[in-house]
Amino acid sequence: MAVRTRYEAAADAEAQVDSRLVAVGTWLFLGAEIFFFAAWWFAFFYLRALNNNQAWKAQGVGPPSKGYGAVVLALAALTAVTYFLASRQSPRAFLFRLLTPIALVFGIATSLFQGYEMWHLGFGLTEGGYPSVFSGMTGSWVVQFALATAWLGSIVTQAGPSGDTIARRRPAGSFAWILVFLAAVGIINYILLYLVG
Amino acid sequence: MVVSERRLSIPNNPITGIVLAIPAYFFGVWLGTLFGNTDDQNTGVILGYLFATVAFLAGVGFLNYPLERLFGWRVTPITDPAENRGIGRYFRLSLDHKVIGLQYLVTILLMLLLGGIGAMLIRTSLLVPDASITPPGNYIPLIGLHSVMMIFITSAVIVGPFGNYLVPLMIGARRMAFPRLEALSFWVVPPAAVILAAATFWGGFPTGWTGYPPLSEQALQGMDSYIVGFALIAVALVTSAVNMLATIIGLRAPGMTWTRLPIFVWGIFTTSILGLLAAPVLAAALIMLAMDRSLNTSFFLASNGGSNYLWENLFWFFGHPEVYIFILPAFGIIMEIVPHFARKPLWGYRTGVVGLFGVALLSWFVWQHHLFVSGIAPVLRPFYMLSTELISIPTGIIFLVTLGTLWRARVWFTVPMLFCLGFLFNFLIGGISGVYLSDVPTDVTLHGSYFSMAHFHYTIMGGEIFALMAAAYYWLPKMTGKMLSPTIGRVHFWTMFIAFNSTFFPLFIVGLLNMPRRVSSYDPALVGLNRWVTVSAYVLFGSMVLFAGNLIYSWFFVSRPALANPWHARSLEWQVPTPVPARNFERVPVIVAGPYDYGIPNSRPVADLGGMVGVTGGG
Repeated sequence: MAVRTRYEAAADAEAQVDSRLVAVGTWLFLGAEIFFFAAWWFAFFYLRALNNNQAWKAQGVGPPSKGYGAVVLALAALTAVTYFLASRQSPRAFLFRLLTPIALVFGIATSLFQGYEMWHLGFGLTEGGYPSVFSGMTGSWVVQFALATAWLGSIVTQAGPSGDTIARRRPAGSFAWILVFLAAVGIINYILLYLVG
Repeated sequence: MVVSERRLSIPNNPITGIVLAIPAYFFGVWLGTLFGNTDDQNTGVILGYLFATVAFLAGVGFLNYPLERLFGWRVTPITDPAENRGIGRYFRLSLDHKVIGLQYLVTILLMLLLGGIGAMLIRTSLLVPDASITPPGNYIPLIGLHSVMMIFITSAVIVGPFGNYLVPLMIGARRMAFPRLEALSFWVVPPAAVILAAATFWGGFPTGWTGYPPLSEQALQGMDSYIVGFALIAVALVTSAVNMLATIIGLRAPGMTWTRLPIFVWGIFTTSILGLLAAPVLAAALIMLAMDRSLNTSFFLASNGGSNYLWENLFWFFGHPEVYIFILPAFGIIMEIVPHFARKPLWGYRTGVVGLFGVALLSWFVWQHHLFVSGIAPVLRPFYMLSTELISIPTGIIFLVTLGTLWRARVWFTVPMLFCLGFLFNFLIGGISGVYLSDVPTDVTLHGSYFSMAHFHYTIMGGEIFALMAAAYYWLPKMTGKMLSPTIGRVHFWTMFIAFNSTFFPLFIVGLLNMPRRVSSYDPALVGLNRWVTVSAYVLFGSMVLFAGNLIYSWFFVSRPALANPWHARSLEWQVPTPVPARNFERVPVIVAGPYDYGIPNSRPVADLGGMVGVTGGG
């Protein structure tokens, strides 16, 4: 029977506490995120309803390609789903090592595709309320998605035998909820900006 | 993939941060000039501030952890507080909550001095009614800088020093939940202060702290300081809130049930909820304003599909909970200190907690009372009037809890207790005038006058700053190991109390006599009252100098080492030795009784500390 030293037991207990704290912290952070994006959704409905000076959308301004937006959204959803599935596995498992780099590739693709769309909107930012809300809402989302992707990258690079991902399994699991949340925000943004707006 | 043993090896300290920030600022300005509008420098200034802030934080050491992670290097472990000794720890990135608390304290006091000098300049301008001392073009930016600086300070003045230092001690924790976030919440403060002060070089911001468009869209580059400075405040609020809430939820010692939690910790808890949820809304609004100014979008430009009301709604959705971010920890301080000096249990502990949550909850439903004079739909006015009036109920509960604790008590009139009593007097006036102002007819009449200015100074300065002083005299012996002089403390209290009321009470009168705020000239008939107020304000400033003198005198000249528990208090933070050990407790304590069981026969000591000295019984 393996005997654990007091030091190992204390380190285990500390790791458990740490994991719980990260889980709590993640949910708190998501609470803040909801209010952040709610401000953008409020701006969308408010300006659209007011339509001041009939300038919500100037003549000829419409959403960018719905198909392209759907591709970006699909990539974001794939990032979240792939990493979520990976995070349910042990970081030592083959599936985790397979899926996290795939999720990372999806994440990078999401950020690049969204960035490309923002450079080629087909309307100017000065052409009314809709272009303002589109650029602000999408820009805020993609910046956060890119930062989350960078963190995902660090999970991949720390997946070695003595890396942080192995040492602290649950924080890597909590992070999955941030990607799921951002993907869900992407869906709401898509509905508002491409379908309702 | 093998984790490398490499490390980032730049020396991490504020000097490195400043050295990196200066070229980063100019790089940002250059980049903004390259890609931004040709007719202004807003993009460059905003990018310059952002790059400089990130570079400063990198120099201090905040990018080490994420970069080491990303490069696949072995991540630097959280520094053991026991290894982090010496005076130098106060001047660099530390992950010890006690060091961060003291870093906050000194920084905030220095900023309070700057904000106070701004107030003195404002009052000096008002010695004459014709704006001959300070022309309007300088007066409005002065008001703006004073107000934003003070809002910034009062957001952090209790949670920053006292929350960070005391919460782990009070709940029996040996550290904070997220020390890096905690440190980040502090280290964004110096760049934010510098950026706000830098507005002066760009002509200041003419909008006051509310930043209303279209003025904020038309203003010079000083407004960009407002945007970035305020955004950094939002970052500080959110990071601090996540850390505090996670610590209180996840690191309470065994036996520290929710009903044994010290009421000050409840105050920090409710404040953190507000900060966590309100600050992101401000951040979003500031991004919109920055986009309008630098990318020519039109969020707030009515002629192009935007609306200035969008700003007003978003700003006040943050702004009104923000004023409770100021006052909830102050309520916590008062309810925490009074039982210790009344030597009685806190009367209606659970009711007091409900009161704190009641204020926090209702604060989300009142923001439109700031728009009564901005033309909101008349049908909405009664709801917001009533919701604002309703807040007086949980606030009244908190008052009753405190007064019930004092009822028939043998009060020990120490300096902290005097400040608590001063708080009760001042906040009563501030609170009642608030109920009065929430009525639509009164608000419409007095909104732009000195009456509302007197009201919020009674709540913030008469309330929060008096609570701050109570906290300083009460807890600084634990935090610094030195007792403050009680004699100077009493002189400080009486000078501050009299001068404060002498300064701000006459402003109710000049407000009723229609003196408008934010205007440097006024009716010459009001010159007598204004001069009285200005002289009183000088004395008030002098009382703060007295406080600073007490700190210097007690720390450097007549050193009176503080006992571990000079107030014979029961709560946990007083049961550890002074100075507080690096890891707070020898081992995680087991809490066996509440912190306010004074005068209860055979009451048990508050905790089993495993041999630490100083555990106080029911006495």
